[in-house]
Parts: sequence; C-alpha cells; structure tokens
Amino acid sequence: MCDLPPCPDGPFRQPALIALDRRTMLGGAAALTLTACARARESGALRFWATGYEGDYSPHLMVPFTAATGIEVETQSVPSTAAHEKFLTAFAGGVLPDVFMLPSGWVGEFAMIGAVAPVPSPALVADTLPAARAIAQVGGRDYAVPWAIAPQVQFYRRDLLGAAGYDAPPTDWAGWLRMGSALKGRRPGEFVFLALLNWPDTLFSMLYQAGATLLRDRDTRGNFRTDEAREAFAFYKSLFDEGLAPKVLSTEVQDPYAAFAQGRFAVWPSWPTLLLDLHRRAAELPRERWGVARLAGPNGPGPATMVANSLCVASTCERPAEAWALVRHLSSAASELRFQSLIGNLPARASAWDAPQMADPVLAPFAEQMRQPAIAPPVVEWERIQNEVQLVAERMVRGGLSIDEALAAIDTRIDRILAKRRALVEAGRIA
Amino acid sequence: MSRQERAAWLFAGPVLAAIAAMLVLPVALALLLGLTDYSIYALADLKNLRFVGLANFTELLATPLFWRALGNTALFAALGVPMAIGASLAAALLLHDATVRWKPLWRVALFAPYVTSVVATAIVWRFVLNTRFGLLNSALGAAGIGPVDWLGDPRASIPAILLFVTWKIFGYNMIVFTAALSAVPGELMEAARLDGASRWGRFRHVTLPAIGPTLLLAAVMSVAGFLQLFAEPYVMTMGGPAQSTVTVLYFMFDEGFRWWNLGQASATALILFVLILGVTAVQARIGRRYQWL
Repeated sequence: MCDLPPCPDGPFRQPALIALDRRTMLGGAAALTLTACARARESGALRFWATGYEGDYSPHLMVPFTAATGIEVETQSVPSTAAHEKFLTAFAGGVLPDVFMLPSGWVGEFAMIGAVAPVPSPALVADTLPAARAIAQVGGRDYAVPWAIAPQVQFYRRDLLGAAGYDAPPTDWAGWLRMGSALKGRRPGEFVFLALLNWPDTLFSMLYQAGATLLRDRDTRGNFRTDEAREAFAFYKSLFDEGLAPKVLSTEVQDPYAAFAQGRFAVWPSWPTLLLDLHRRAAELPRERWGVARLAGPNGPGPATMVANSLCVASTCERPAEAWALVRHLSSAASELRFQSLIGNLPARASAWDAPQMADPVLAPFAEQMRQPAIAPPVVEWERIQNEVQLVAERMVRGGLSIDEALAAIDTRIDRILAKRRALVEAGRIA
Repeated sequence: MSRQERAAWLFAGPVLAAIAAMLVLPVALALLLGLTDYSIYALADLKNLRFVGLANFTELLATPLFWRALGNTALFAALGVPMAIGASLAAALLLHDATVRWKPLWRVALFAPYVTSVVATAIVWRFVLNTRFGLLNSALGAAGIGPVDWLGDPRASIPAILLFVTWKIFGYNMIVFTAALSAVPGELMEAARLDGASRWGRFRHVTLPAIGPTLLLAAVMSVAGFLQLFAEPYVMTMGGPAQSTVTVLYFMFDEGFRWWNLGQASATALILFVLILGVTAVQARIGRRYQWL
C-alpha cells in the first residue's frame, strides 16, 4: 500500500474567511500535495479508487495481484458522502484513476459522460448474478463489472425483541408497527427503528415495496402523486410521528453501531457491510444478541433498495490491459469470497455462492432479498432525485408539509431536475 | 515611453499577466458560463450546450432554496459579524489590560483554533453539541436549561454553527486588535483619566477612534467571510436539518460540483459577488463618514 498523501479534492473547500493570508498558506500546501501526486503517477502504479469499507480493505486484495503480475496498485479510499462530486470533478479535470468502483445508480451517468470504458470482453461479466449485471448495463451494453451486491435488510436486536415477545421481526408493515409500539411501550426513552433523515435508502425501499412507479412519460417527469407512493410516505411518516424512529441526520449520529449495541434502537435497516462492524466489535454486541431478516413490506417482504458496487475502467486509462487484469482479479470468485469474509460484502459472481462460507444462515435473508431486486429508473439524474425526495420527506417528517403537499413538491422538483432531459428526449437526442 | 516607464512596465508586467490569466480571465469565463445551460449533459457532449441569456438568473430567483440560502447567509452574517468582532475585541481588551499575566500564553491559546483544521474542529464540536452526551448540553443542564437538539433542530442549527465559527475565527481579529490597541497613545489615555473620564468614556472617546480603521477592516473582512460561509455547514450538518444551514456558497457548490450544473452555479457566484461588492461599498461609505479611511 502506498502512504502518499491523497491528491487534493477538486473543488476548493476552505472558506476564504480571511482571504489573503490563508490563501498563501493553502497555496503552499497545495503545491506540496501536487508534487506528491506527480510522484505517485510517475511510479508506474495503477491507481484505484473505492468508497467505504471496499476502499479501506481493498489493499488486502492487491497483495496477491501485485505478487502475480508485478503491477503495483495505489489504492485510495474515497469518503462515500463526497464520492459523487469527487469522481465527476476528477473526470472533468482529466485525473480519473485507472480503475474505480461505482455504486449502482451511477454507472449510467458516468457512461453517458464518457468517463468509463465499455467492458471489452463478455468473459469478464460471465457468471454474474443477473440482478447485478442489469445494474451495470447501459442500453444493453456492459459498462462495469459487478463486484458486490448489497440488498437492504433489517438487523435486529434479538434480545430486545425477545423481551417483547418476538422471535423475529414481523414481515408486514402493520406487524412491524405493532412490534414497534410494543418495544416503545417497554422502553419509552429509547427508539425502535433507525432511519436517518438524510439517507434515502429506507424510504425508497418502502416505495419499491409499495409498488410505486417513480417516474413517468419515458422517465421525464415525477410520478409521486400515486396511491402507492402515498402509502409508503404515510408509513414512513408514522414511524417518526409515533416516536419509533428518532428525527436525526447522519451528522448527528456519531456512532450508530454503539447506539445499536447500547439498545438505543432495536431495528436497523442496513447493508451487508454492517456484518464487518458486528464482527469487529463483537465485544460490544455478542453474536447471540442480533439477527438479520428481510425488510418488512406492506403485505410481506417485497423488492427493496439494492446497491451493487461495480468496477469500472476509466475511458482515459492509458494501460487498459493492465487495468482490466486488475478488474478481473478483483471480481474473481476467490477475491469476492475473500472480501465477503473480510467486510461482509456479498459476491456478485453466481458461482461464488456455492462456496461453503456462503451457507452461513446469517446470509440467507440477503440471498432471498437478492432474488427480488428493485431497479431504479435509468436516468442520470437519479442520484440527485433521491436526494431531493429525501429532503422533502425530511420536511414532511418535521411537520413542515402534509403528505400530499410533500408528494406534489417532489413532482415539481423532479420535473425541474428533469427539464433538460425532457428537452433532449423530445428533441430525440437521447432515449 | 521613457526609460522609467519601461522599467515600471517590466516590473509590473509579469504580475499583471498573472492577474489577467488567473483572475480576470476565469471571472470573465465564469460570467459567460452563467449565461449558458452547462449541465452534466454538456459535460457528456458539448453539442448539448445552449446559450440561454438570463434564464439562469430568472430561474434562480424562482428557486425557493436559493432564497432560503440567501436568507440563511444574511442571518449568518448579521449575527455572526457582531458576534465574532465583539468576541475578538473583548478578548483583545482583556489581554491588553496591564494586570493580565502570561499574555503570550493566552494569545497562543486563543489564536490556536484559527490555525486548526476546520474538519478536525468541526468533528470535535459535533461531540460538544451532541444532544445526549454533549458538553454544552451538560453545562446548560447544570444551569437548569433543558437539552437543546443543537444540530437536529432547524431553529437551533444556525446558532450552533455560529457558536462554532465564532470560536474558530475570533483569534485572528483578536491579534489584529491587540496590535491596534498597543498603538493607542498612552498619554491621551492618561489625560482622559486625569480629566475624570469613566472607563466607558475612555473606551468610547479614546480607544475606539484610535482603532476605528482596524475595526472597519475587520468588519469588511468578516462580512465577506461570513457571506462565503461553506466549510462549517458542510462538515457539521451537510446543509441540514431540513436545509436550514444551506448558505449561498453551499448551494453553489451543490449545484456546481455535486450535480455539475455549472451554468446555474456561475450565475449564483455572480450574484454573490455583486452582494459582497455592495455590502463592502456600504461599509466603505460608513468608514469615510467617520474619517477612518
């Protein structure tokens, strides 16, 4: 692994509060970092960017690759909250790394702007789970190699639920709410569910479960004023209205894992990578005290939000053969299984699921949920649309808007975001 | 051209060229960009770029979030500038007092937040402001005031960030004021005291006129700084809760770099530029009236 300082983020993030002298200081700092970056590029290492635990732990996967091929890889872990702008700015500035990881919804966007190269050989995506492969395709063409698949499920505190008379969380919304009230009744000072008000995944799972079609008119307009969306929003809001979920943002919850371990909430809709925390910090929360189940739906489990991280090679990469070799190595069944045991990530290779380690009963709900994926509309503005929907939902939860006002506001905002797309679709420039 | 003039151009030339290339040209280009609908589609294919005239500006003025950001920024500046300058001046006056010992130590301690990384201090402050375990709420609790959800309540988020920003930046102006205070003539002070001027009278009629120009400079800089507030809300709240801490610069960053609507972001930048220019002009006028400039 390389211990060089990370290259500076594209945009200038510091406020120029006292412009003059701070600028001078920053100028000096920037110059230092730039020379460091230039050195890294000359060293001949492939550059690789990934977010989250994938970024933190991928150097472990690089060791065998470097040993086998002699190609050094310099990995950079990009914070997930700033990844979208960092990748876009890097593309605009012509400094994208050779290989990088994209979350599912972004592949279409980065393919459209020409940042990622199409997958050169079908062999690279053979033996991939169909749901994961569909997410990495744009217009029927493969633009990325699925690396991991992460359906949203619920992690629950077995002991807290057990004390309220539940072996496992109910699978329908009404039962979920009843369980919530029962738990709240026993411990009024604590919460039951964690749904951060600035993370859209849980709300979108509810929308998919309710069967809402989120866009209309060839995906050029918002379609939230429907009964399905209303049902999902009403259910989402009720969690907060009844005090079952705290009205908090991710910036306020410094350590959600500790809060879960301390029983500040009992049910946590989350991702497979939470398995890493559960494993690493088992001293805080022993194995027998938690369990995993599929998310509850209106009438039993349904399609839920799914993230599939994929590996891409930049279109500007000057060593595509080596870059694709790295992708092949990282996405091999063996690497994906290694990653599974390291960080909990579920493999996107179908054959990897036959491995003995995948028979762990903890993984069964993930496997079931994976067979029922929810696919987001393939528009490049999707990331922004999710953000806007969540912002309006936050205002609704805080009492600023009624459900119907919120849905109308969302349609207005989406129509505004999609105005450019609408014009291009009508002009026949894009599908 | 005389020899002297030639020499002058020779010396000034490189600087002027650098200013033109790195300041004037980008600003002009940004201005042009503000008249186009540059978006992610234009990043994909420049043929998707259209010249839209003032449409970005009319659209901005019709965007509720822009007005909200403007209102938030105005609130930050209106409350933050007096808070920051007041804290700086108070600290400088305290440190200036002859009875204070270990002055260099105090100066360093109070200046330290200014030179510490915003991100690191913001994370510490997020702990301080935590509703359940935070130091601030413990202190308020001891005084009998119920817990305040500092970063989670849309009404408390701006004061919370102001508290942090003030703590972070007041050290700089404190040093500036300390320098200015040491230039206040001692004999004038002495004379005022002999004539029976009170503490407040000495401050109002001796100290204040002497440090007037410094005060004006600090005010101009602080206003410009607060109007460009970005990193603090970005790190502490990401604009939340319910977008109550979105500032104009944050809005511009989101539009421009997060969603790549550079056309609209450039238009926002231009509006912010005009605003800062306007406020500074007003301040300069006030300064001239009191003959500080």
